[in-house]
Amino acid sequence: MQKVRSNTRQNHLKLARQIVDFIAEQGLTEGDHLPESRLSEACGVSRTPVRSALKVLENEEIVQRRAEGGYFVSLAPEKIAVDGLARLEEVEASLAARILNDRAERRITDVQSISALVRRYDVPRSAVLNALKILSADGVVTQLPGRSWAFQPILDTPNAIDESLAFRLALEAQAITAPGFKMDSQKTGLLRQQMETFLQSSDGSMSAVAFLHLDCAFHSFIAESSGNRFAKGALLAHHRLRLTTQKDHTIPDFRLRQSLEEHLDILDSLERSQHQLAADQMILHLRRSQIRRPQTVNRGILPRMRGAVG
Amino acid sequence: MSKPVIALFPEASFGSALNCVGIAQQLQRQGATPVFLCHPGFNGVFTEYGFKEYQLPASPSAKQQTEETWQAFVTAHLVHFNQTPTEQLETYVAPTWDAIVDTAMQVEEGLQTLLKRIKPDGIVLDNVIMFPAIANAGVPWIRVVSCAETELPDANVPPYLSGMAADDPARPGFERAYLDVTAASHQRYNRFRKTCGLPPLPDGQYLEASPHLNLILAPSAIRHDRAAPLPAERFVFLEGCVRKEARFDPPPLPVNEGPIIYLSFGSLGAIDTDLISRMIDTFATFPARFYVNVGGFLESYSRVPDNVYLGSWFPQPSIVAQTDLFIHHGGNNSYCEALYFGVPSLVMPYCWDGHDNGLRAAQTGTGVHFQRDRWSPQMLHDTMSTLLADRHMRDHLGQISSAMKARSGSRRAADAILQTIGISLPR
Repeated sequence: MQKVRSNTRQNHLKLARQIVDFIAEQGLTEGDHLPESRLSEACGVSRTPVRSALKVLENEEIVQRRAEGGYFVSLAPEKIAVDGLARLEEVEASLAARILNDRAERRITDVQSISALVRRYDVPRSAVLNALKILSADGVVTQLPGRSWAFQPILDTPNAIDESLAFRLALEAQAITAPGFKMDSQKTGLLRQQMETFLQSSDGSMSAVAFLHLDCAFHSFIAESSGNRFAKGALLAHHRLRLTTQKDHTIPDFRLRQSLEEHLDILDSLERSQHQLAADQMILHLRRSQIRRPQTVNRGILPRMRGAVG
Repeated sequence: MSKPVIALFPEASFGSALNCVGIAQQLQRQGATPVFLCHPGFNGVFTEYGFKEYQLPASPSAKQQTEETWQAFVTAHLVHFNQTPTEQLETYVAPTWDAIVDTAMQVEEGLQTLLKRIKPDGIVLDNVIMFPAIANAGVPWIRVVSCAETELPDANVPPYLSGMAADDPARPGFERAYLDVTAASHQRYNRFRKTCGLPPLPDGQYLEASPHLNLILAPSAIRHDRAAPLPAERFVFLEGCVRKEARFDPPPLPVNEGPIIYLSFGSLGAIDTDLISRMIDTFATFPARFYVNVGGFLESYSRVPDNVYLGSWFPQPSIVAQTDLFIHHGGNNSYCEALYFGVPSLVMPYCWDGHDNGLRAAQTGTGVHFQRDRWSPQMLHDTMSTLLADRHMRDHLGQISSAMKARSGSRRAADAILQTIGISLPR
């Protein structure tokens, strides 16, 4: 029973996301009506689940229900895609997300038994199993022989982030130059608008978390547009992993802005069909992100082995 | 008129490097072009803040220094960090000065070449030793004293690195011991200065006051009443100098209640993973949210408690601004940031001017200090409770914070620098 409820909840959230995408794609703005029939048609489901999804969106103040009947958009267009999706992700702080978060923050070890998770989260066994299945679908955990589950590598340390960048350097430019690269122009426009809005924020007000959302959205979009299905699949899975597990508060405001400018330059080149140039720009962008902070420094010196030090 | 170029040369420590970033950000806002001279280990740090970097050439011996060398250094020094300041003179201070002198000699030629290439209008030196190429560059140079005020000796100021009060009866003994252990490196350094055409410095001193301008970070609240006051036309007190950082939203924790406590022992202090692990065990039983900077050692920790978050780096000013208590090593930048945001300090020093700032925090009612290896979980628990509940200290810190914020240190620094190099830019 628990499993059914949990799956239903997941479906409502999935549909709520589709509705947010629909609002953004249609360019709907604050106060615009959202007819259920239109949503039902666009999402390919009956009106009943659409109503449930709208209820989820109403709770998050993304849409509002009015006395005259029906639901209306309650966020400005530039906020829909970023804020709206971020709010939904908060709602999705389901058990799977909590488990993943705890792993990323080193609260639980990389091999877990179901009973240990049941004890930690004080939930039924079926809920833990369901959460592990969700994580398993994203390739974050795998079942070991017996009753234990093992976490796959996640982006939880500076070394892991380095490896992630090396992996992306090998693949992201290839994803652009592979034959068949094709971008959705509406989504391009939306992404561009979101990044430009972000760039207009005042010095020091850019949050690292909000940046990560936008960064993953951009790189996932590049992956989605790739003509190489395997590059696309591997990169999309990797960006999902980044979104849920990458913890990096180390990027100064200047670099956040520079990164967004680089994204816009890449989109410029792609819109001019200069794929090779865009691929080179992607490499430059990732290489800049690779520059690491030093870890081992001391007062005025690099450590030396001499005298009493040794 | 072309923009004046100001070359900033911080030492290879985060405190000094990021303090200079704060000054450079303001110089840029006021129309100058700040550039950085950086040690090889700091490659990329200043670029991330949008500044041009010129890297000092690495010496062949520095190139050979490997990760293993660093680990050996760490292992060798961990025990020294538990010693008293007097005991550290021989085990830590002397070899460190030796190595600092080595660095100054190794980079001299490269620094001369770089300065000829950059042709700066002024040089800002935030270090503990003079690099002769700077004094000989033919342009005004500005000294930044980003360590504790004790770096500038005076009869009423405690001896540098001593962690003792100015009138401590043990003072003469400490001063004698300091001169003894530094004698060899000091003589070597003075010989080097002579070859570069610079006059020798008094015993125990490696850096002279600038004849042009000296900027001192120590805010008035913690300043010492000097026997020989520093001439105001050459010595400017900055009331701290806090840089702008990216916004930091503390990640929500599974147990997300209570005041926020931030712990950072700096990039060097993070090596003591045993100490930090023991502290985390105590944190697990304390009703607060803890954000802990573990530097490059994240992989040394597992089973993090539900009210603790570990990070390999935090944009420190952004998190200190939201913190109720700051546990740190007494690094001058950390201490000044705590004062700037009106946050009480629990100082657990391990070396250098951390000892001086630890005592100063206690003397000025801005925090407490205790030795790294002499605490019990109950003592840590009680100290945190007391500091969080101390209204009087909080009010006092609130006044210090308001005074510091009212007089922007970085603005004052940039104004003084531009005035010194004789350039007046439109505001």
